[in-house]
Amino acid sequence: MTTTQPTVEPHAPSEQEVLTEITGMLAALLDDCGLDEAEVTMESRFIQDLELESIDLVTLAGQLQARWGEGVNFAEFVAGLELDEIIDLTVGRLVVHVADSLRTAGRS
Amino acid sequence: MTAPVAAVGQHPSGTGPPPVAVVGMAVLLPGAPDLAAYWRNLVGGVDAITEVPEGRWDADYYDPGAASGPAAPDRLYCRRGGFVDDYAQVQPTRFGIMPSSVPGTEPDQLIALQVAAAAIADAGGPDRLPDRDRIGVVLGRGGYLTPGLVRLDQRVRSAHQLVRTLGELLPELTSDQLHRVRHAFTDRLGPDRPESAIGLVPNLAASRLANRLDLRGPAYTVDAACASSLVAVDQAVGELASGRCDAVITGGVHHCHDVTLWSVFAQLRALSPSQRIRPFHRDADGILIGEGTGVVVLKRLADAQRDGDRVYAVIRGTGVAGDGRTAALANPDPGGQIRAVRAAWRAAGLDPAAPGALGLLEAHGTATPAGDAAELATLAEVFGPARAGVGVDVGAGAGTGAGDGRAVLGSVKSMIGHTMPAAGVAGLVKAALAVHHGVLLPTLHCDDPHPALAATRFRTVPEARPWEPDPSGSPRRAGVNAFGFGGINAHVVLEQAPDSGRSPAFPAPRPGATATRPPSTAPAPRVAAVTEPERVLRLAADRPDRLAALLAADDSALLAAGLPEHGGPAPRCRLAVVDPTPKRLALARRTVAKGQAWRGRNDVWFAPEPLLGAEPRRSGTGRIAFLFPGLEGEFDPRTDDVADHFGLPRPASTSDTGSSAAQVAQVADIGRHGAGVVAVGRLLDGALRRMGVTPDAVAGHSVGEWTAMIAGGLYSGTSVDSFLTSFDPDALHVPGLTFAALGLSAQRVEEALATLDGMSEVVLSHDNAPQQSIVCGPEPAVVELVRWFRTQGVLGQVLPFRSGFHTPMLAPYLAPIRQAADSFELHRPTVPVWSGTTAAPFPEGEAEVRALFLRHLLEPVRFRPLIEALYAAGFRAFVQVGTGQLASLVSDTLHGRDHLTIAANSPHRDGLAQLRRVAAALWTHGAEPDAGVLAAAPEPGAVPAAAPERVHPSVRLDLGGALVSLDSRTLPALRAELRPAPARAAATGRASALTSLAESFPLAAELDALLRDTEQVAAELVHAELIHAGRRNGAGPALPPAPAWPPVAASATTAAPPPTRAPAATPPATSAPAPAAAPSSAPHGDTLRVSVEAMPYLLDHCFIRQRAGWPDLTDRWPVVPATTIVQHLMDAAERTAPGRVTTAVHGLRFGRWVPAAEPLDVQITLRDAGDGQLVAAFGDFASGTVELAGRHPTPPAPWPVDPAAERAPEHTASTLYQERWMFHGPAFQGLTELTALGESQVRGVITAPSAPGALLDNVGQLLGYWIMATRTERTVVFPVGLSELRLYGPAPRPGTEVHCHIRITALTGDALEADVQLTCGGTVWAEAIGWRDRRFDSHPETRPTERCVERNTLSAPQPGGWSLVHERWPDLATRDLVLRNHLGSAERARYEQQPPRGRRAWLLGRIAAKDAVRQWLWAQGEGPVFPAEIEVLNDPGGRPRVRGVHGRTLPDLDISLAHRSEIAVAIVRPSDAASGVPGGGPSVGPGVGIDIEEVVEREPETIAVALGPAERALLAACRAASDRAASTSEAPDRDRPSTDPAEESEALWFARFWAAKEAVAKAQGTGLQGRPRAFEVVAADPTRLLVAVAGPDGTRTIRLHCTQLSSPPDLPPRRYVVAWTADGTEGTALTDISTADITTADISTSNSERTVAK
Repeated sequence: MTTTQPTVEPHAPSEQEVLTEITGMLAALLDDCGLDEAEVTMESRFIQDLELESIDLVTLAGQLQARWGEGVNFAEFVAGLELDEIIDLTVGRLVVHVADSLRTAGRS
Repeated sequence: MTAPVAAVGQHPSGTGPPPVAVVGMAVLLPGAPDLAAYWRNLVGGVDAITEVPEGRWDADYYDPGAASGPAAPDRLYCRRGGFVDDYAQVQPTRFGIMPSSVPGTEPDQLIALQVAAAAIADAGGPDRLPDRDRIGVVLGRGGYLTPGLVRLDQRVRSAHQLVRTLGELLPELTSDQLHRVRHAFTDRLGPDRPESAIGLVPNLAASRLANRLDLRGPAYTVDAACASSLVAVDQAVGELASGRCDAVITGGVHHCHDVTLWSVFAQLRALSPSQRIRPFHRDADGILIGEGTGVVVLKRLADAQRDGDRVYAVIRGTGVAGDGRTAALANPDPGGQIRAVRAAWRAAGLDPAAPGALGLLEAHGTATPAGDAAELATLAEVFGPARAGVGVDVGAGAGTGAGDGRAVLGSVKSMIGHTMPAAGVAGLVKAALAVHHGVLLPTLHCDDPHPALAATRFRTVPEARPWEPDPSGSPRRAGVNAFGFGGINAHVVLEQAPDSGRSPAFPAPRPGATATRPPSTAPAPRVAAVTEPERVLRLAADRPDRLAALLAADDSALLAAGLPEHGGPAPRCRLAVVDPTPKRLALARRTVAKGQAWRGRNDVWFAPEPLLGAEPRRSGTGRIAFLFPGLEGEFDPRTDDVADHFGLPRPASTSDTGSSAAQVAQVADIGRHGAGVVAVGRLLDGALRRMGVTPDAVAGHSVGEWTAMIAGGLYSGTSVDSFLTSFDPDALHVPGLTFAALGLSAQRVEEALATLDGMSEVVLSHDNAPQQSIVCGPEPAVVELVRWFRTQGVLGQVLPFRSGFHTPMLAPYLAPIRQAADSFELHRPTVPVWSGTTAAPFPEGEAEVRALFLRHLLEPVRFRPLIEALYAAGFRAFVQVGTGQLASLVSDTLHGRDHLTIAANSPHRDGLAQLRRVAAALWTHGAEPDAGVLAAAPEPGAVPAAAPERVHPSVRLDLGGALVSLDSRTLPALRAELRPAPARAAATGRASALTSLAESFPLAAELDALLRDTEQVAAELVHAELIHAGRRNGAGPALPPAPAWPPVAASATTAAPPPTRAPAATPPATSAPAPAAAPSSAPHGDTLRVSVEAMPYLLDHCFIRQRAGWPDLTDRWPVVPATTIVQHLMDAAERTAPGRVTTAVHGLRFGRWVPAAEPLDVQITLRDAGDGQLVAAFGDFASGTVELAGRHPTPPAPWPVDPAAERAPEHTASTLYQERWMFHGPAFQGLTELTALGESQVRGVITAPSAPGALLDNVGQLLGYWIMATRTERTVVFPVGLSELRLYGPAPRPGTEVHCHIRITALTGDALEADVQLTCGGTVWAEAIGWRDRRFDSHPETRPTERCVERNTLSAPQPGGWSLVHERWPDLATRDLVLRNHLGSAERARYEQQPPRGRRAWLLGRIAAKDAVRQWLWAQGEGPVFPAEIEVLNDPGGRPRVRGVHGRTLPDLDISLAHRSEIAVAIVRPSDAASGVPGGGPSVGPGVGIDIEEVVEREPETIAVALGPAERALLAACRAASDRAASTSEAPDRDRPSTDPAEESEALWFARFWAAKEAVAKAQGTGLQGRPRAFEVVAADPTRLLVAVAGPDGTRTIRLHCTQLSSPPDLPPRRYVVAWTADGTEGTALTDISTADITTADISTSNSERTVAK
């Protein structure tokens, strides 16, 4: 007789997995052909290195939400940052935020 | 050839003139405000030809049909040319000229000054010029009628001509009125400026320049027609060669698009009928006229080299020669041209026929067949044929291939038109630039070259291409031709500067990078001192795959293959990489390999095909917009280096290196922030334009819209500056409000605002992009909204501004802005300015602009819709002129659509570096910006080295010479003042001052009548003369006079429709052909035969009815109905454009009746006014404008009917005709139902008749019925005008029921106006707006004769058997109707022979006599008798008699008539012979006599002469008797005077005596004959008198009756006495009187006896 296994908690993605996904989003956002995937690192700054405009961030926020749902709120994340922090915002910081959010969501 | 010819490339022999360097150049030419733009246009092949702008010359002159047929001086068949309008701006204060004196100065002087200053700046600025004593000025300029002269002529001559003509036509205009007209005219020319009259002296073009720039060498103009510029250059070279000057400013100026100049070329048939200028095309058919100015700065080459000047090109030789008498003045002669060209090459020491002698020839190239042929002959002769063995086979590849060994032939006229005296310099500058840049330039529209081109060594090229080095190694060399009318020819030989690289103007490639060419050896001391800018790699190919192939090379090879950074011609598929690092080059390779556009990320731009430039522009896209940012959260401009580089002032209140905190503080300071944003925008706008980047439109975001308004020229920058600097920013604070940006669409924001609680005071303030909106409201609510959205994952940010901009909440704080904005002076924008409020271009009107300015502050910024609208209008590149995020908003909005955004400033790099990216981006996408101006060192001349100067306001020059229209604000008053004396007063009755006086002053009435008669006579004489002169028909004598009507003048105090109704489009009287004009001169013309044979239906449109079978048609007076005229005009118009239909007729005026009794040829003329409008004239009888279109417009809805305002008419349609309410015969009887009648409306049904125009005529009948049914007086109406007839379908077929709805819009004493709608089957077929009828004098007493004159009389029969008529038709036109109703043709002719003053009374007497006869006949039982059947004649003694006409027989009748003032009496009796009185004896006995006298006081002398002593005694006795009677009677005789009985009594009695004597004298058939006492009153009482008259048979005593009359109330108050001879059959005897009144009888008897006893 087989018994039903209890549902396994979906594992929260690792930071590397999040980075990969966000890099994909950025590639789409920035017309992929120009963006050498190797160019996006945890240290890449959205504004100074990737030249994202604020509008691009809106698009990115939408994609984050579309991918991971309510648990990831880029808007709230950005709201907690100072202006200088936004200007210097790195991909890594977002990746960490997303990964943390998903872990938190998973526990709740 | 005698002169030795040096080898190619060799410097001239020592005896020739020294080579001369072109060291500075500037132009203002069509499409090119400056040299950079000219170069771009030349390279890009921009066709700058346009239609003549408004205001240059009036559209009325344009007549495309005038190209064929005989030339008429004022008919221009061409309206395209080259114009500089938008660029004709000067900064007068820069030159110490008062702006106020600009309007009075000849514009070309100011343009020459400005362009010369630019040329000097281009040469390095004034500081680099040599000693001013040694600088000359020689400008080519023609003596044409330039705009300044035109305005002076208008002021000095035209204004006076206008009032002279007006005064001659309308003599009643007072000198004061004429003075006002003249002033209203000259006011439009601007104020008088005596001090600027000197500005109109032609040589001032050179002298003013020398004066203002303080150049002290010789300064003069030369006029050598179209060769002027090059003759000036020749002179300049001479000045340099002779050593008199060390520099010469030379060139040419031509800014004259006066209609007279166009007329000259149109009459010569030199203008292109196809309106294209195609030099050297096989089918070239003429020139298009251009305008422009070009100035070059020349120095001896040796001096220029010594001074380190930039040398565009070297003038090696010039030649000038005339044609002599070899050719006609206007026809070119190759002989003279050949000698001029050879002379120049001889001066250069060069052989023009040598291989490689030249690579480019800028030809005169006028595109006239004769000019092109002569020039090609010259070129073949001088330069020889193409040489075999060079390049490909010339026979096969002639004119097509590149590199076939042929030199390039061009004519810039193909782009800018023929700029006349400036043509030579336009070509010289072009050639110098080509030589300088090493680019061979295209000539437009030469796809199929002139066959003679093949015999030359030249070809034309359709697009720019590199000027490949000649295999022989000779330098780039060009020739320039300019050949003038009259046979003056000039040629200049230009050569590449010695030792110059490809582009000496630009810095050498930076060390380290592999240069594309060997580094220049030219000294470039400035370059070394400055930090090198980033390298920009530019690559281009025909196709992406070829570009990819180029990129396949390794990096170093790639860098070596780059194109020059300053731009220039390049294939269409382009790539630019700023600072081409290996990484970026790798990106570029990937990008190009994919073939998709790449727009700026990582400083790489790639466009597989052009988004901008000439190619996409042809399909309506490719436009560039400048977008000016508003206030943003970050404001960190990097502009100081830009300002310094271009020598512009650094923007105040901006700093490149503020801390973040400082920026935030500054951002919060709205006023200062705003001023900074505007200043940065303006600085960058200026810099971009220096780079040759010019917008096709400007727009802004929020405050940026103000910058856009400045940049677009709508506001002057200085006025906004002063506003912003003086403005107190605190005044803008709206307490408690804040903004927040939200990352989602405006639609979703508004949905949230509508549904969330607590958001009622929050409003949307910006619709920025699909993913960005901004809201404004109370701070807590806005913060809460941001928080709420954030929970939804929507980015949001509260912004650091505290104002209510773009919301209604700002309204209470608007006053200071409104006040300032209202004070901004508005200008016509030089670039379209788009509004972010309406997402559309700004409106035209000043009030609308100001209103929109305020709306912009109170309504949301609609930036997303604005960008959508710009995209839809063809804009593809959006340059963000400032820092910030605007470009990303554009990209978000246009996501997925091909477009380019680029910011002109960025916080990330210095200003010039960002501008370099702008240039790279635009170039990649097909534009041709000039990045050279961004070179690290200021280019010589790009900026004056002096400290940044104050920006000088620009003043736009008025180059127009349009006809003057009076100011619309003063016009109504002037019109109203002159209206009482209408245009046709020479033949009209008028409401003159006399007329108004006439009611009170009889003398004035008489004088007025006399004047009217005089005018009528004058008009008739003129008319007859015209007819005679015109030989218009074989009718012999002049036509019967037709009255002319004045335009209906609605009194200003009535509810007349607004003046806009007036047909303002009515063509000026002068444009209507005179009746005598030769038909052949008419633009379009039909001759219409008007006669009852040709138009039988006119027999049913006769104003006068006569007895059946009446033989004389003129007595019936058939007239062409006004509506038939309209039909003929429409028909004629439609014949000119088959397939098109009349959709409207405007401004119809019917000036005169068109009589049809005698055949008349009427000329219908049509003049094309453009836009489907034809100005139509029906002879001089009527005029209007017919509008044609391909189809009828959609009909409007039928008007609603208000039953409450209507009632059923008392009449039926058929009774209108049966009872002769209408004179119309069957062909015009279309009214079949009178539906409803109201106080201001009438409706009826018309069954469409078939006669032309009859349907609309029935509208007039229905309108006529309305006035007859609702009014009692002045009910005779005829149409005189119609503002607009709109047709919504084809004419209804005859028999169709047409419902006619008339709304009365105005009713005055003179005029009836109405709007009409005609409906067929419920669909509106036509509308007539502003139908105007003139009301004729008619009186209830005259109405019966109007309807049925054969049974009615104007005269009333009186007791005693006489007839009395009062004149009820004071105005001439109505008198004419009455006259025609009563007189036959013979009598009308006699009327004409009467002295004018007597005509009224004469006519009145005739009417009284005819009426008396008719009444007598009717008393005998006679049936209907028309007045024309009875002719009243005078026998030789002057005694009237009557006879029947055209079959009417009359018994023998004695008749007597008399008239005074407005009254006439007549009496008729059978002759004695016929009366059969027994004992009557021979017919010599007394006949009948009647007289009428006015009761007025007489001088005693008059009485003494008129009456004998006995009569005077009798008169005294009669008075005494009257007095006694009065004193004994309590009830005075009603005939007695009411005042002073004694005085009145003498006047009354004298009138009785005199009337009696006259009546007897008439009865005797002799008249008084100066012997009044021969007819002696011997007895009298108030109603009877006895007059004794001595005759051959002794004394006879005649008995008379007598009565008194008073005028009716509506005529001048007068009292009359009428006396008439008693019928012989009456039984009363003399003794009856004597016995009846003993006292009187005693006296009279005794007197009589005594008299008899004599």
